[in-house]
Amino acid sequence: MKAAVLREQNKPLVIEDVQVSKPGPREVLVRPVAAGVCHSDLHFMNGSYPYMLPTILGHESAGIVEEVGADVTYVKKGDHVITCLSAFCGHCDKCLTGHMALCSAPELSREGTEQPRLHQESKPIHQFLNLSSFAELMLIHEHALVKIREDMPMDRAALIGCSTTTGVGAVFHTAGVEPGSSIAVIGCGGVGLAAVNGAAIAGARQIIAIDMVDAKLELAKMLGATHTINAGSSNAVGEVQQLTSGGCDYSFEAIGLKATAEQAFQMLGAGGTATVIGMIPVGTMVEVHGPDLLSEKKLQGSNMGSNRFRVDMPRFVDFYLSGKLHLDEVISKHIRLEDVNDALEALKTGQEARHVIMFDQ
Amino acid sequence: MSTVDVESEVTGNVWKIEMAVGDRVKAEDVIMILESMKMEIPVEAECAGTIVKILVKEEDAVEEDQVVAVIEAD
Repeated sequence: MKAAVLREQNKPLVIEDVQVSKPGPREVLVRPVAAGVCHSDLHFMNGSYPYMLPTILGHESAGIVEEVGADVTYVKKGDHVITCLSAFCGHCDKCLTGHMALCSAPELSREGTEQPRLHQESKPIHQFLNLSSFAELMLIHEHALVKIREDMPMDRAALIGCSTTTGVGAVFHTAGVEPGSSIAVIGCGGVGLAAVNGAAIAGARQIIAIDMVDAKLELAKMLGATHTINAGSSNAVGEVQQLTSGGCDYSFEAIGLKATAEQAFQMLGAGGTATVIGMIPVGTMVEVHGPDLLSEKKLQGSNMGSNRFRVDMPRFVDFYLSGKLHLDEVISKHIRLEDVNDALEALKTGQEARHVIMFDQ
Repeated sequence: MSTVDVESEVTGNVWKIEMAVGDRVKAEDVIMILESMKMEIPVEAECAGTIVKILVKEEDAVEEDQVVAVIEAD
C-alpha cells in the first residue's frame, strides 16, 4: 500500500510502499476513505514532540472495515467506522473509572516479538498513536474504532476522529461548561472551532473567539461565537475581561503555546477554569500568578476531550446530521495523499482550518 | 573516560528497552522507548560510548528529567 512516511524530523513526508500485516485476533484492517491533516501531526513532524521513526503520521480518519481478526465481534467487513487514537483496554483503573482517554495499557500495540503491524520487508515502520492514517490501509486494535451510521459523509466523519472530539469534548467533558456560561477560545483552528461549536451546543451565553486571522474569526461566528477578538491588534486578556465584566467562566487554549496558556488563565474571572487543549512543546513550563489561586481559578489539561469515543462519536454524528455540529464549514480543501506536504505547510501559516485527504476507493 | 547521564524527556512508562549494559552506542541510537499518552517516545544516546547502567526496567514509571541510563563516553 501507499503511505506517507516520516523518516526524519523537519523533512517532508515521503510516499512509499509499505506492507501491512494480517489482522491479529483483536485487530481490524480498515480502508480509510478520508483523513484530516491536523496541527498535531506537525508537532511530531517538527520534533516539538519526539517520536520513534520512521513512522506514518495521521490520526484523524474514517473508513470502511476491510477485514477483522478472529476474536472481533464488534464490527464486520463493510462497516463504516471512525478511528480514534484513544484506544482503551477496558479493564485498567482509568477505563473502569470512566477515564478511557487516559488508558495507557501497552496491550493495544503488538509485542516486540510479533511482526510489526507496519513494515517494509523486515524493517518496522512505527505506528503513530495506534493509528497511522496517512496510508491506504490501517491495521488497528478493535478498541481504536467506533461504528457509525452509513449516511454520515466520510470526510466530515474523519474530523470527528480528532479535532471535533478534542474541542467539543473539552467543553462537554473536561470543563463541563454549564448553560449560560461565558467562555473564551484562544486559537480558531480545527480544535478551537470545535470548542466554539461545542460551547454553542452546551448553551454558553457568551462565546468569545480569539485568533490572529480574521477569516478564522468569521468562521468562528458561523459556528456560534458571539464576539471575536483579533489578538494581533488588541490585548486579548483585557478585552475578555471587559466583555465579561471581570473575566470569563471558562477559557480554552487551542494552540499549544506557553504564552496563550498563561493568557487563558489570566482572562478568567473568580472561580473560572482554563483548559489547555493545545500540545505545548516538551520541556516548556507554564506559569501562573500564585495569588490568583486564592480566587479559585483553575488551570487544567485536556487529552482528546476526555472522550469516551464509542459513546461520543455517534452522538457527534447525530449532531452533524441534525444541523447542530458544523463540519462543512471547517473543511477548507480536499486533497490527495500525494499532496499531504502542501497541507502540512499550509498548517504552518495558520491561514486555513482543515485539509482532508480523500483516498481512491 | 567520562560518564553521561541519559534522561527521560517526559513522564511516562518504559515500554521497550532496546539495549543492554555493555552495548556500544553512537549518538542518537535508541536505548529505550517510553509510552506516554499513546506516544512512543525514544530515549536516545546523547553521545557515542558504552552503556554502563540501565536504571529502569520495562513497565516502570519514569518522571521528566529522570536518569534512566548511563553511558561511558568514548
